[in-house]
Amino acid sequence: MAVSEATSTSDPVGKSVRRVDVFDKLTGAATFTDDIQFGPNLYHARLARSPHAHALIKRIDTSKALEVPGVKAVVTGQDAPELVGMYLVDRPVLARERVRYFGEPVAGVVATSESIAEEASRLVEVEYEELPAVFEPMDAIKPDAPLIHPDLGEYKVVPFIFPEPGTNISEHFRLRKGDVESAWPKCDAIVEMTFGLPQIQHVPLEPHVSVALWEASGEVTLWTSTQSPHAQRDLIAQSIGIPHGNLRVMSPYVGGGFGGKAGVTMEASAVVLARAVKGHPVKLRMTREEEFVGTTMRQSLVAQTKIGCDAEGNLLAMETEYYFGGGAYNDYGVNIARAAGYSCTGPYDIPNVKGDSCSVYTNLPIGGPMRGFGMPEIHWGIEQIMDQLAEKIGMDPAEFRRRNCVKTGDTILTGMEMPAIDVAACVDKVTDAIDWDKREKPSAPHKRRGKGIAIMWKAPAMPPNPGSSAVVRFNEDGTLNVEIGAQELGQGAFTVAAQMAAQALGLPFEWVRVVGPIDTKYSPYEWQTVASRITWSMGNAVKAAAEDARRQILDVVAETWDETPEDLDIKDGVVISYRSEREQPLKEMVIYGLPKEDTEGWRGGPIVGRGSFMPTYVTNLDFDTGQGPRAVVHYTVGAQAVDLEVDTETGEIDFLKIASAYDVGKAINPDLIMTQIEGGAVHGLSSAFEALRFDERGRPLNQSMVDYRIASAVDVPKEIHGDYVETPLEDGPWGARGVGEHVMVQTAPAIANAINDALGIRFNDLPLSAEKIFLALQERGEKKA
Amino acid sequence: MGSHPITVTVNGAKERLNVQSNETLLQMLRERLALTGTKNGCSAGECGACTILMNGEPVNACMVLAVEADGADIVTVEGLAKDGQLNALQEAFAEQNAVQCGFCTPGVLISAHALLERNPHPTEEETKLALVGNLCRCTGYLRLVEAVQAASEKAAPSAPMKGDA
Amino acid sequence: MYMPSPGLPEFDYVKPTSLAEASRILAERPDRTRPLMGGTDLFVRMRDGLVRPAKMVDVKHLPGMQAIRLDEEEGLTIGAATTLNQVAGHPVVQTRYPLLAEAANSVASYQIRNRATLGGNLCNASPAADTAPATLLLEGTMVLYGPGGERFVPAEDFFLGPGTTAIRPGEVMTAIRFPIPPAGSAGRYLKLGRNKAGDLAIAGVAVLGFPNGTPSGHSFRIGLASVGPVPLRAPQAEQALAANPPGEESFMLAAEKAMDAAAPIDDVRASAAYREAMVRRLTFRALRDVWAQMEEGK
Repeated sequence: MAVSEATSTSDPVGKSVRRVDVFDKLTGAATFTDDIQFGPNLYHARLARSPHAHALIKRIDTSKALEVPGVKAVVTGQDAPELVGMYLVDRPVLARERVRYFGEPVAGVVATSESIAEEASRLVEVEYEELPAVFEPMDAIKPDAPLIHPDLGEYKVVPFIFPEPGTNISEHFRLRKGDVESAWPKCDAIVEMTFGLPQIQHVPLEPHVSVALWEASGEVTLWTSTQSPHAQRDLIAQSIGIPHGNLRVMSPYVGGGFGGKAGVTMEASAVVLARAVKGHPVKLRMTREEEFVGTTMRQSLVAQTKIGCDAEGNLLAMETEYYFGGGAYNDYGVNIARAAGYSCTGPYDIPNVKGDSCSVYTNLPIGGPMRGFGMPEIHWGIEQIMDQLAEKIGMDPAEFRRRNCVKTGDTILTGMEMPAIDVAACVDKVTDAIDWDKREKPSAPHKRRGKGIAIMWKAPAMPPNPGSSAVVRFNEDGTLNVEIGAQELGQGAFTVAAQMAAQALGLPFEWVRVVGPIDTKYSPYEWQTVASRITWSMGNAVKAAAEDARRQILDVVAETWDETPEDLDIKDGVVISYRSEREQPLKEMVIYGLPKEDTEGWRGGPIVGRGSFMPTYVTNLDFDTGQGPRAVVHYTVGAQAVDLEVDTETGEIDFLKIASAYDVGKAINPDLIMTQIEGGAVHGLSSAFEALRFDERGRPLNQSMVDYRIASAVDVPKEIHGDYVETPLEDGPWGARGVGEHVMVQTAPAIANAINDALGIRFNDLPLSAEKIFLALQERGEKKA
Repeated sequence: MGSHPITVTVNGAKERLNVQSNETLLQMLRERLALTGTKNGCSAGECGACTILMNGEPVNACMVLAVEADGADIVTVEGLAKDGQLNALQEAFAEQNAVQCGFCTPGVLISAHALLERNPHPTEEETKLALVGNLCRCTGYLRLVEAVQAASEKAAPSAPMKGDA
Repeated sequence: MYMPSPGLPEFDYVKPTSLAEASRILAERPDRTRPLMGGTDLFVRMRDGLVRPAKMVDVKHLPGMQAIRLDEEEGLTIGAATTLNQVAGHPVVQTRYPLLAEAANSVASYQIRNRATLGGNLCNASPAADTAPATLLLEGTMVLYGPGGERFVPAEDFFLGPGTTAIRPGEVMTAIRFPIPPAGSAGRYLKLGRNKAGDLAIAGVAVLGFPNGTPSGHSFRIGLASVGPVPLRAPQAEQALAANPPGEESFMLAAEKAMDAAAPIDDVRASAAYREAMVRRLTFRALRDVWAQMEEGK
């Protein structure tokens, strides 16, 4: 879709205006964290990492490292006693007393160059006493499993997360609705399966990088590629004991986040290293290999799920147990287990539900948030079971979804009333787009063609009170600066912020500039750019700020004209009266005000609009049942269908078409939604074939792009058909809700369902691969190749 | 280790530098010349974020030693737009909404530019193959291909600044 | 190394002005010196800590290293430092040695192929080297220059093990020579990777077919990549094709025998079982394709 460069766009909400960041990104002018110039004062840091998955640290000798010319400091866990963490504060910045995963940082070296720091980091000598390690969540929950966090009971934790000290279980969410035991006998079809998903990684093109400066005065500045400047300030300030006002976090453009740059990952390391060399900025950047296993990854999952329906296809009961392999530290992963728990039915109306969702410590790299936040993981199994139930009762899988999907007003698994959404409309759009009822012939005798469908839901998974705020300030010429705390990750946050401010104020879109980079010293508070919450939450704050400014302007002009503000409006930067047809351009008056008649003085002055938004209606959930009036703010729902061909001689898949449709409430920028849908479809497709692999000692086997393959330009479907539905969100700006994660949640099971349609073979475990498909065909006796 | 004096033309400007033996062209561009448009995504020749033109051909700057660039004509993303105007290829990317996080964009532009120079009207398949070495996690690639196709349908992209041409 | 260094280790870069000088430097401390061609394999291994040369000897610019020359008697000489794009795109290679062009063109990405060289791909001697089977089938001879002067090693004697070749201390590959291919020959290189293009080969099969005075009237040569410690021929498969008339049946028989010739391992990229099966499938497809080309050429 062509996005032309207009000069004056009125009423930009709902229009596919050009992105505001595109010029800088196309010319190489866009600054990312590693591009910031610091001058000769800059030091560089590298981390020494554990070669063991689980071991006690007996002794660390940094003397050889310190002797290397150019080394300015070597820091160990002794110098950094603080723990950091998002929801559960369980993670040392540098390992103390023990290491819990292969690659865990045990020391940091600061030097005048990266290569000197690297050389010295390899001279840090550590004596370890290896401990038994555990890698699978099902092993880690056994009573005799090695205890990875003996001090679990002493960690600070938010009120809605419930770790089980004395075990490796960092969170256990319980969902009890109705009575599953009495429901099973009423089911005419029951499907019970166990699904397994490996760890995968975000693979943002830009690896993590942070630069920290700790001044002698106590002021600390952190330049970093992050989705969460304010959350990082909060977590680091709290854990390292810096007053919030003394810690400034500044983040330029982020080269891909996908959740991997949320919360606190390696940024705290940069800060403690900077503390050792006050007055010098210290840069710590991850190599690609460190990015794979030294930042965060999506948790693995073992899901044991049982779902039943009656002969008419009504879902009656669901029982499910989720065991997320959270890695060595679960500070963020605990909330993924919780979110999976309170959404464990998927987008379905099921009257009887028993769900248990746990995050479990394992001696593997840190599990953390990744696009979808537990939803891709659980939908992998749910959507395959739904397909199988449909098959058992002889119903079309799309029809099964239409029949059973959650609808507006339903009481969902937590007892909450479902806000207005339309899953069925999304199903209709994708079945249309994919010609669902048409059975096409494969393109060659050795190929099989299949179509599969999957639906999804996801709520923003947040604490109950995550806030957004915004300020709008005018320039003398009537143009507007919009200050937000939301981050531009590539999703288009800055662009929609400008659209919404322009719309709410009555300015041409081109008059609005979003102030970046996000800088906690200047930017208004934003909880995090995660959870697909920004268009909704930041949008509300921006709208409120713009409306605040608008009111101030109209008040001044109304008084000047002796009219009422209700008769006035602002259109394309001009205040107009519907009554008198007078006009007042905003230029200058937004700074200097308007003179009173007869030189009796002035009215108005600099117009500054402020707005904030925080949902106030999310409630607690009962510890034993997960029930509560309002578990989440809202859900975004959607459907995806996949049309593919399998080469039965090699197992390779050709993706012919992926059709996606999501209920976005209101498309603030329709083409940006399409770009999310396209990127999400390919990300979802790729994720089905990805896996981080570890050996029997917890050491990574494929932590490089050579052997961790992601989809490249030749792997994409021939066609991606995106569409959306607009069922307004009650408290969304113009009705909008988010979609950034949802677009990849159900791609993997849609593919699995399509493969099953083509071959009659189900895959319970990810990753998929041509090899797996081929060998499964061979095992069935079909193909000798 | 020793340092080597080299002369290299970058975006039309001749530079004289002393580079280390083990310094890559990527490090030279980013750290000595502050041309930070070219990105470091993997340092292993896999992701393509560091793609630049060397004597007219796209290469991964992380896979070239700075000293090997002695006498070479280098073009980076900063050399594509002229006088603050996006060239036709860049404009096509803007129009097709083919930019999201922007980290892969410089490398993609260079690869695409080189493709259109050697094949002014590539098929979709040829474009995809030309971009195999440019990984993107945000866009799903379709817009990148559409942008190249759109640019190829218009006039040939404006030539980058060359050394002595 | 599990966590490679961010940058390259320190080394001395030297650019000799003659092959003799290059050879002398390489011979001084053969365990600590390396010839530098494209660098695309070498730099990665250096970051990994697998290779730590004290001196890197850049030989790309030396006479003949980047030349492609056809002589109707002697055949094709390709300089060892010719890039894979130069090989794949050269009109003589495309018309007279299309199998080699196809193999070269299948490596990695366009950017890599602008630096990676034919000589480098062969000398690195990864079992997965895409140009190696084609070089075997086209009866390439490696031209080596060393302390003893020039030496010629046929491709079939060149690969000794994973990453190990017949190159002696102080030697550098200067060119690869290919005889004029048999009249009426056609070729195909098929490879399977985890991506549809751009990946290392999980399995690669090269086939060269040509009319010949065998009982079947034709000869087929089969070369396998990534399914053994070195690139492999499949002699029994080739014999079967010499004996039996070309067609689906003999191709399937040959494919089976090619699979038997393969000795793949399980690794993080693929299992031995899958690789074996893909040798069979790719051999069959390549034979069928080459035969179709030959039929068309008649």
